[in-house]
Amino acid sequence: MNSPAVDAPSSRRRRSKTHHGTAKWAIFSVAPFALFVIVFAAYPLGEMIRMSMSAVEIVDGQFSITPTGFDNYRQAFADSDAWRSMRINAIFIAASVLVSLVLGIVLAFVVERSVIVHHIARNVLIWPAVVTPVVVSLIWLLVISPTAGGLNKFLEYVGLPGQSWLDSATGALTSAIGVDVWHWTPIVFLFVYTALTNIDRDVVQAARVDGASEGQVRRLIMLPMIRGTVVGLLLVRIVQGVKAFDEIYLLTRGGPNGATELISLYIRTVFFDDLQYGYASALSLTVVLITFVIVGLAFLARRLRQSRSI
Amino acid sequence: MQQRRSRISITSEIVAVVAVLAVVLPLAWTVFLAFQPNRSIVRRDLNFEFWLGNFRQLFESGSIFGQQTVNSVIITVGAVLICLIVGSLSGYGLAKLRPPRWLVLPSVALAVLIPIIPPITLVPGVVVQMSSFGLLGTTTSLILLNAVFNLPFAVLLMKSHFDNVPAELREAALVDGASEARTFVSVVLPMVRPGLAAVGIFVGIMAWNEFLFGLTMTSGGETAPLTVGIASLVQPYEVTWGQMAAAGSIAAVPIVVLAIVANRQIVAGLSSGAVKG
Repeated sequence: MNSPAVDAPSSRRRRSKTHHGTAKWAIFSVAPFALFVIVFAAYPLGEMIRMSMSAVEIVDGQFSITPTGFDNYRQAFADSDAWRSMRINAIFIAASVLVSLVLGIVLAFVVERSVIVHHIARNVLIWPAVVTPVVVSLIWLLVISPTAGGLNKFLEYVGLPGQSWLDSATGALTSAIGVDVWHWTPIVFLFVYTALTNIDRDVVQAARVDGASEGQVRRLIMLPMIRGTVVGLLLVRIVQGVKAFDEIYLLTRGGPNGATELISLYIRTVFFDDLQYGYASALSLTVVLITFVIVGLAFLARRLRQSRSI
Repeated sequence: MQQRRSRISITSEIVAVVAVLAVVLPLAWTVFLAFQPNRSIVRRDLNFEFWLGNFRQLFESGSIFGQQTVNSVIITVGAVLICLIVGSLSGYGLAKLRPPRWLVLPSVALAVLIPIIPPITLVPGVVVQMSSFGLLGTTTSLILLNAVFNLPFAVLLMKSHFDNVPAELREAALVDGASEARTFVSVVLPMVRPGLAAVGIFVGIMAWNEFLFGLTMTSGGETAPLTVGIASLVQPYEVTWGQMAAAGSIAAVPIVVLAIVANRQIVAGLSSGAVKG
């Protein structure tokens, strides 16, 4: 490393020589990204806001948008199907997030501790997070389907009655949560495992020297040290729960009788099946705002905790 | 003390093995069914055959599954190329040059927001937009949308890689008379190959897996991606289990192979792009 005293004059000289070109190049380099996100994310977002306060129809193959104020939002407030979707989504998030967090943390500790299967487990346990979500559902359909599923073949083989979970409201929602847990526990595992391997070995070793049992080391030393990671994961998993679509769409199509119709599935139905474009936009904006509030509150809570601990 | 730690814990080994089986068995079952004819799949007892008919039926003439597989390849390649080019260029700009604030602020704000927004909520606006561009239902629209949703990750990951390249390297090249473009392509870019690999592999997986926009932008026919084709095989009444398993295997096996050989890049991708997905 050069000392600042040597570095400063030479870099000033360089900058004066190349300054003009660099400024243009700086704009040129960031412009493609800015253009992309503004055209294909900010613009559709704006359109969605405009449509949410309009009556939208297709006239001669073109979308015709007529402002109607807050009618769509009044409709949302009175729509019991929308409220049911919100409620189901809340249950789905609470159960899936909780189970995947606990399971992922346990697996991270276990794999970190394992020796023989360590390398295989570390590799295999992230697979579900990268396998095509649609295929995740397909895989589980091939397991739990009453007619051809492997699970019923197995149950019959050991002399137990077969299941038909997907036909009942509770069974379908539980299955959907189970599939989501299988799909996303790997994320929790990966982050917690990485955090565990980054813990300062000396601290852990010192606790052992002081006579702490392995259980105490895990509970009292290591678990508190990964608290930040776990809080971050909690937020990530909640956002994933709001976004959930692919797996449930294939597994249950929202059925039976809307028992697994998460909010994303409901918006799709309203837009593409009921053709209520304006209303679907109002629901969309509501969901975006709810997501922002959740993320905002999480950051606020972290801020408050940090400022209190200082 | 060291010894107590390195002693093998039988419980840990067993639990880890159970977890590995919980991941592998459903996948293996799918691949196994892909080689079974329907009649032995719906039979009550287990029956082992080796049959390629499911794959033949998927790709036989008149079937659009082959075309949908090609679409998925095109969409994936297109989205990866855009993310590599824009990601490295803009990541470089944000890390090493000093772009004006009026450009940086909105870009970064959107890069932070996009991964949080549920994709379905953008569908109404995107449908109207794509139909006014005349792109609704085209493979091009899916390339663009896949690129947009992966760009924030690509740009931020590339930026963090460029941050680690010493500034002296760039300055030395400029002093030696290389142009900004030349410096970027021949001097700085080769330094961030691991970042490019991580972006390429991870964006590739994400685009290959994408379903929601494939479903909503196309009508499920010849311009739809593979994932939409797979979903259309899952029908409530006409059930073709063997073909479903074969199609699922075609989509999943390449990803699992990647997860084995490119584990490090995928871990890097998951670690910095987890909110997406």
